[in-house]
Amino acid sequence: MAKTIKTTATDGSPVEFMDEIIGSGGMKDVYFSPDKSYVVAFFRDKQDFNAKNRLQDITGVYRERIFNAAGGGYWQDLYCWPTKIVEYNGKLGLVCPTYPKHFFFSTGSVNNDFLGIKGKEKEGKWYASAKNQNKFLAPEEKGDWFKYFQICIRISRAVKRLHAAGLAHSDLSYKNVLIDPTSGRAAIIDIDGLVVPGKYPPDVLGTPDFIAPEVIATKHLKTGDPARKLPSIATDRHALAVMVYMYLLYRHPLRGGKVHDMDAAKDEELSMGSKALFVEHPTDRTNRVKTNQLHPSQLPQGDTDKLPYRICGPYLQKMFDRAFIDGLHNPALRPTADEWEQTLLKTVDLMQPCQNPACWHKWFVFDNTAKPKCPFCGTEYKGILPILNLYSSRKAGTFTSDDYRLMVFNNQYLYQWHVNRNISPNERLTDEQKKPVGYFVFHNSKWLLINQRLNDLEDKTEGKKIPIGQAVELSEGKQILLSREEGGRLIIVQLANK
Amino acid sequence: MRRLPVYLVLDTSGSMSGEPIEAVKNGVQVLISTLRQDPYALETAFLSVITFDSSAKQMAPLTELSMFQMPEIHASGTTSLGEALTLLANKVDSEVTKTTAEVKGDWKPLVFLMTDGGPTDNWQKGLAEFKKRRFGLVVACAAGQGADTNVLKQITEVVVQLDTADSATIKAFFKWVSASVSTGSQKIEAGGVEVGGLSELPPPPPEVNIVV
Repeated sequence: MAKTIKTTATDGSPVEFMDEIIGSGGMKDVYFSPDKSYVVAFFRDKQDFNAKNRLQDITGVYRERIFNAAGGGYWQDLYCWPTKIVEYNGKLGLVCPTYPKHFFFSTGSVNNDFLGIKGKEKEGKWYASAKNQNKFLAPEEKGDWFKYFQICIRISRAVKRLHAAGLAHSDLSYKNVLIDPTSGRAAIIDIDGLVVPGKYPPDVLGTPDFIAPEVIATKHLKTGDPARKLPSIATDRHALAVMVYMYLLYRHPLRGGKVHDMDAAKDEELSMGSKALFVEHPTDRTNRVKTNQLHPSQLPQGDTDKLPYRICGPYLQKMFDRAFIDGLHNPALRPTADEWEQTLLKTVDLMQPCQNPACWHKWFVFDNTAKPKCPFCGTEYKGILPILNLYSSRKAGTFTSDDYRLMVFNNQYLYQWHVNRNISPNERLTDEQKKPVGYFVFHNSKWLLINQRLNDLEDKTEGKKIPIGQAVELSEGKQILLSREEGGRLIIVQLANK
Repeated sequence: MRRLPVYLVLDTSGSMSGEPIEAVKNGVQVLISTLRQDPYALETAFLSVITFDSSAKQMAPLTELSMFQMPEIHASGTTSLGEALTLLANKVDSEVTKTTAEVKGDWKPLVFLMTDGGPTDNWQKGLAEFKKRRFGLVVACAAGQGADTNVLKQITEVVVQLDTADSATIKAFFKWVSASVSTGSQKIEAGGVEVGGLSELPPPPPEVNIVV
């Protein structure tokens, strides 16, 4: 039994840890508190004045600004944020809450966990790799496609909040984000490297796969050189885009077949740096994945012809174009974390459960075709599929399209953020706004919307009010007013697969 | 997909028999099970074991980490280090994919060599063959006081010395090897930062002395 060491944090509060290293990272050794409710991570190297100052700000003002603001409690689940600084035996340490239980494997790998990973942290890399997904992870650990959308939404939201506070994470990667695909949860860890532009410079370039091309292309220059690019909010945006692409498609957006140099290291530097090219660039096909050169375990996810990024839906397709075509070498054009969050949320409303019970992904995004089918298992959708096109009024009497669609499936709910364009499904929702206002059912060969809490619901086509507890049928071209309030929406029904 | 080839080149001469060879076997086992818990290594690392005593043999060809099975190794005979280096060079030629204009080849191989004595064959000939190939990180480990570090220093600049060839120090060395492969399989994907010198390695365990 390891000895318990008692000490005091710089804020004067008591800190205890057991004198036995439970893990080591690149820069720190980690120890458990006796009750395992927190860990203390000591830097192996001496930290200079600037580093210490930065850690003080991270555990102090930056943390308080996010967590002590109204609704700050929401962020507890999205970050593992260091709370205190300790100094012991000349070493500087950080006190961090222990990761919640759902971020540790409960089953682990296939064949009775032959890899022995049960109880280990769910590092994102396990999930972002087709090979690890296809060969190693137990089915119980994998989650469905919907959960990966939820994970991406939470990561985007957490990054958005950092950026809103003027902070850059500077090392976003699947190493520094824990995810739980069984529940759709995610948390950003390793927050001690936060970069404040103009105040605290970054001390790492980032993690392979996620470093922005301009950082790699200029890493040979001296730190003071004005042309040298270092991690920043703009490079976080690149890392976030790569992460979303990898969690939804299980391959890297820039790792294609194009060879730039006979030397592996130089080739890597060029293909991730100055010569970086999107593998699915619509016109420049030179970096397309060569499927015959992939390991069989990387298929089918590695095959961009079979599972093109288009399967993520039209809104995300545009975002990936901006991130990996327009903004790849032009950081100012990259989508923001806020845009990723919004777009992912809109895309979730385009999702349909796959009707094949054996489909591993279980969900797919409606592909805008008259005969929709699941791109993963190829199962065609059977039956009529209602699509609700959302319109809202900016001027009395006229409604314009919000470029927002909601796909209907049995027992799906309608929420406030569908009813009113001024409400977004984000961390600011009140508990009242989280309650469904209606739901959809397929009943006696008809698709119905059942009104649960909408006072203004009206069938405009028939000119009939729909009181609470009553239903309105979804038929082709039907216009249904959801709310008369400012920002209230009108839906126009389309039926696919008739 | 670029693979990360890892060659373990192990001395199985008579002087290794008993505790040292058992510790090596155990060390390789621990190495495999640790690397199998690393999602980066699982994706990229491939492993081979070459042993040398009176002659050199490849006991396990370059195999994907998840499929790797520990070969039976025994200690007896002399120390044909030169032959081991020649065999290593030949295996690198036949097993490691080279980059061409059309195909992305493998990463440069990592080599971990462990010996407890001095070579008994014409090692310069093997060294010459070895030097003609390109490697990533090459670590030579002198297990115990009997190893000839001067020979090892001609193979690579990274030479570590274990004070004794007992199970605790050998285990510590393999732990360090696994950390190096883990770091390598992550770092290697970085903007071309391929494992090159000692500065890229995790800190060695306290039992290992670095010979400079």
